Amino acid sequence: MPLSVRIPYTRYLDDRGQALGELPGWVDDPELLLELYRQMNLVRVFDQKCIALQRTGQIGTYASTLGQEAVGTALGRAMTAEDVLIPYYRDTAVQLQRGVEIQDILLYWGGDERGSAWSTPTAAEDFPICVPIATQACHACGVASAFRIRQQPRVAVTTCGDGATSKGDFLESLNLAGVWQLPLVFVVNNNQWAISVPRSLQSAAPTLAHKALAAGIPGEQVDGNDVLAVYDRISAAIERARAGKGPTLVECVTYRLGDHTTSDDASRYRPAEELSEAWKHEPIGRLQRFLHQQQLWDERREQALQQELGERVNAAVEQFRAIPEADPGAAFDYLYQQLPACYGEQRDALLARAATMTGGEHG
Amino acid sequence: MKQFKLPDLGEGLQEAEIVEWHVKAGDSVELDQLLVSVETAKAIVEVPSPRAGVIGRCFGEAGDLLHVGEPLVEFEGEAEDSGTVVGNLGQASGQSDLAADDFIIGAAGSSRDAWAVRASPQARKLAERMGVALDGLPGSGSGGLITDADVQRAAAAQPTTGEALRSVRRTMAKNMARAHAEVVPVTIVEDADLHRWPDGARDPMVRLARAIARACQAEPALNVAFDGARLSVTRHQHIDLGVAVDTPDGLFVPVLRDLANRDAEDLRQGLARLRADVLNRSIPPRELMGATITLSNYGTLFGRYASPVIVPPQVAIIGAGVIRDQVVAWDGQPAIHPVLPVSLTVDHRAVTGGEAARFLKVLVEDLQAAD
Amino acid sequence: MAEQSTLCMVEAINLALHRAMADDPDVVVLGEDVGPNGGVFRATVGLHERFGFRRVMDTPLAETLITGITVGMAAQGLKPVAEIQFMGFIYAGMEHLISHASRLRSRTRGRLSCPMVLRTPHGGGIHAPEHHGESTEAMLAHVPGLRVVVPSSPRRAYGLLLAAIADPDPVIFLEPSRLYRSVRQVVEDDGQVLPLDTCFTLREGQDLTLVSWGAALKETLEAAGRLAEQGIDCEVIDVATLKPLDTATILASVSKTGRCVIVHEAARSYGPGAEIAAVVQEQLFHVLHAPVQRVTGFDCVIPYARQEMAYLPDVDSICEAAYRTMGDQP
Repeated sequence: MPLSVRIPYTRYLDDRGQALGELPGWVDDPELLLELYRQMNLVRVFDQKCIALQRTGQIGTYASTLGQEAVGTALGRAMTAEDVLIPYYRDTAVQLQRGVEIQDILLYWGGDERGSAWSTPTAAEDFPICVPIATQACHACGVASAFRIRQQPRVAVTTCGDGATSKGDFLESLNLAGVWQLPLVFVVNNNQWAISVPRSLQSAAPTLAHKALAAGIPGEQVDGNDVLAVYDRISAAIERARAGKGPTLVECVTYRLGDHTTSDDASRYRPAEELSEAWKHEPIGRLQRFLHQQQLWDERREQALQQELGERVNAAVEQFRAIPEADPGAAFDYLYQQLPACYGEQRDALLARAATMTGGEHG
Repeated sequence: MKQFKLPDLGEGLQEAEIVEWHVKAGDSVELDQLLVSVETAKAIVEVPSPRAGVIGRCFGEAGDLLHVGEPLVEFEGEAEDSGTVVGNLGQASGQSDLAADDFIIGAAGSSRDAWAVRASPQARKLAERMGVALDGLPGSGSGGLITDADVQRAAAAQPTTGEALRSVRRTMAKNMARAHAEVVPVTIVEDADLHRWPDGARDPMVRLARAIARACQAEPALNVAFDGARLSVTRHQHIDLGVAVDTPDGLFVPVLRDLANRDAEDLRQGLARLRADVLNRSIPPRELMGATITLSNYGTLFGRYASPVIVPPQVAIIGAGVIRDQVVAWDGQPAIHPVLPVSLTVDHRAVTGGEAARFLKVLVEDLQAAD
Repeated sequence: MAEQSTLCMVEAINLALHRAMADDPDVVVLGEDVGPNGGVFRATVGLHERFGFRRVMDTPLAETLITGITVGMAAQGLKPVAEIQFMGFIYAGMEHLISHASRLRSRTRGRLSCPMVLRTPHGGGIHAPEHHGESTEAMLAHVPGLRVVVPSSPRRAYGLLLAAIADPDPVIFLEPSRLYRSVRQVVEDDGQVLPLDTCFTLREGQDLTLVSWGAALKETLEAAGRLAEQGIDCEVIDVATLKPLDTATILASVSKTGRCVIVHEAARSYGPGAEIAAVVQEQLFHVLHAPVQRVTGFDCVIPYARQEMAYLPDVDSICEAAYRTMGDQP
């Protein structure tokens, strides 16, 4: 019976940062470990800053990555510049890792399309944030199909949450990836909550990775709070895809330590005890303890890092604030490659109307 | 179909043994031609061909057992393709304008010209009347629409060689040209002998009006509206006589309404009032419209016979010349009688010669009566 | 010297696909049954044999997926031509068309774009099962950022499909199934595109402008012929691209005739005819001799096959609308 099939589960470090067994060889590279650590901290500092900016009306509704810094950082680091990311909307960590500028991320959540128009070369073909749930999975299949058609050694990586795995788009995409053996990695960020709907109400599948079985592709779980495990298994999946061995589904088991978005109040539906329990497993502390044990980190360096990250984020926020308002005509200028003449009048009317608006709403 | 399968043999029989083939590959067969004899548990059955065609292949030899539904013969040629998975697609048949080669990308030239010169119907009519060219005229209406005001302005600014026609003369020029282009005129003339009229009676207008009314009742074909474009005729319920009146300002044609139902005195007063209103230019425009037939009494001026111009949609016009004393043959002897020359012009697109002649006869005979 | 043949519309579409795929290696075709079967209407016949699975892909049965992967392929710079088997099944793909295809360029300020074509049989009158006769082009024409194109003859199908494939933005190509095989025409395989965003004038006339598209043009042209015998000289406009609408051609024609009748198979209310009528009266109110008329499908569910023909605009209805229009004196 398929339900009793064993889905592999990978974890290398426990909550106290102790190795549970043999660690993968690449862990011997201290530079990589420190890079991952610094990056995860950047994500958290920036993430908290975004929440603050939303509360003060400087950006709009924002989806926090609190608790999921390991997933995004690791998966972003495992991709190469030639690979393409097709994210969902809780992917600040991956975007930062892929080189998208802080100003662009702030522009996006601040309500400005220029936030998806980044010029970062390493993310040139990455898709923008995707709001309609799970639709990005189909796009990812299209991107991966293009790699297959052109016979390029590139991999498409797509992310989604636990809720998205219930949607038709997700299941249809898994199915296609399997039957066409696409160079595609599905990363499911299972943070246990789809707004207020808990994992237990989302699916009867024992793990979300089980859904890969129906598509005939390999599915596995990792401890999403263990950056070593996430990096290791996603790297392996990406390399499998690149070698023409087909797609993989990697379910990262984490926890959403924040609210669904800044408009949500999770205390309405989840108990405080559950939240405080979850904090014990969070990824940054875990890696920090490991680094301490490896003599790679200390308190002084921690303070310096926090200082540096704070300054960096603040400086970027200042740059963001200084960006002038966009040209309202852009709404028509990018409608088609060339705006048909019949819309010229409307474009003028839009500009005229925009000119009469004083100030502007933030957030 | 390409493959013919062993059909249902009836009575729940599922299989049959081939006894003898009557055709072989390459044979041309007709519909219902016998292909093969097969033996069931009950009898030997002949299997006819479901279609005409050429046998491509026979399945099985004599002695082989075939089940219902298994292939029996395959016909040569392509498998027929319905070209669809649902419904019926109509195959090309006959003519359709959708197969015509010509189409214009975008607007037709005449449409482009019209768009360049957009004017309200009113402004167009005004421009025509005032002789203003719409081409290149700036339009002050929304979207560059040419308005009445624009036309007026242009008319005022227009330089003219010679004296530009205005108003009534202008209208006359235009109407006559249009009539000439459309109408097919035929004229018939006669003299009305007025010697029976009471002494001294010389104003023929009321008598003419009455005579015309009687002629219209006898020959209604001359009291109609004719649409040359649609080739249709509308009979009028009333006889509304246009009466041409010459004035220093030009020709006016006020309308004397409902001739048939008015007595002589009424007509006389009506005519007098119309003439007065025209002469002091107080006649309302609607009194100049809607004539169903017209009388031109140039006899008040000069002349005998004429072929006056018919203005569509009318189909007939009566001309009356100067009443003159003339030597006529009367009772075998020469005599001097007052004679009124009457001309009738009809539009031969709508009126026959016979109708015209009969109309004229009734008209002249009525005129000739004592009263 | 380009080859010439007498083709029906679906053959012309097939010819255009062969041409586009031969000329541009980025053009790929995908959909259900498009491979060895050549498409259920045979629109993709021969492509799989010629270009292989790499470029002619039979997809699983999943219209949401088909539309979504087409977006993804297009974002990578391929020129995917996806087939949705019938317009009745396009609804599963609407999210991807409306939320993604139409706005990928806009929301990334041109960093990404979506040069895709989605082809689908459109409209009723072929006595097909339920849901196979949809004419809901208004839903798509309402969406900013899409193009909606409806060919009406084999030659125009060839030229417009080539243009759609070459276009850098998403095009929904609605093929009137009633016309697939009903008309044959000489089509030259010259690779020439016809312009999108442009109406075609099929018949020049002075008295009345008839505006239509797709299969309804068959009845519209027939009506024009009958009206001509009665002395009413009609100009017939094939809209061809519903979105963006070539208002200039329609307005030029009506500025000449002063009278307009719009004919479409789609249901009356909120149909594309309402948009055209609004534009005409906005610009030409003072030039019109009579109100704009619409001859349309009814505001009821399109009947199943037996009663289907009563739903579609017929020649008599178009003529009646013309008489009404002509009878209105300014």
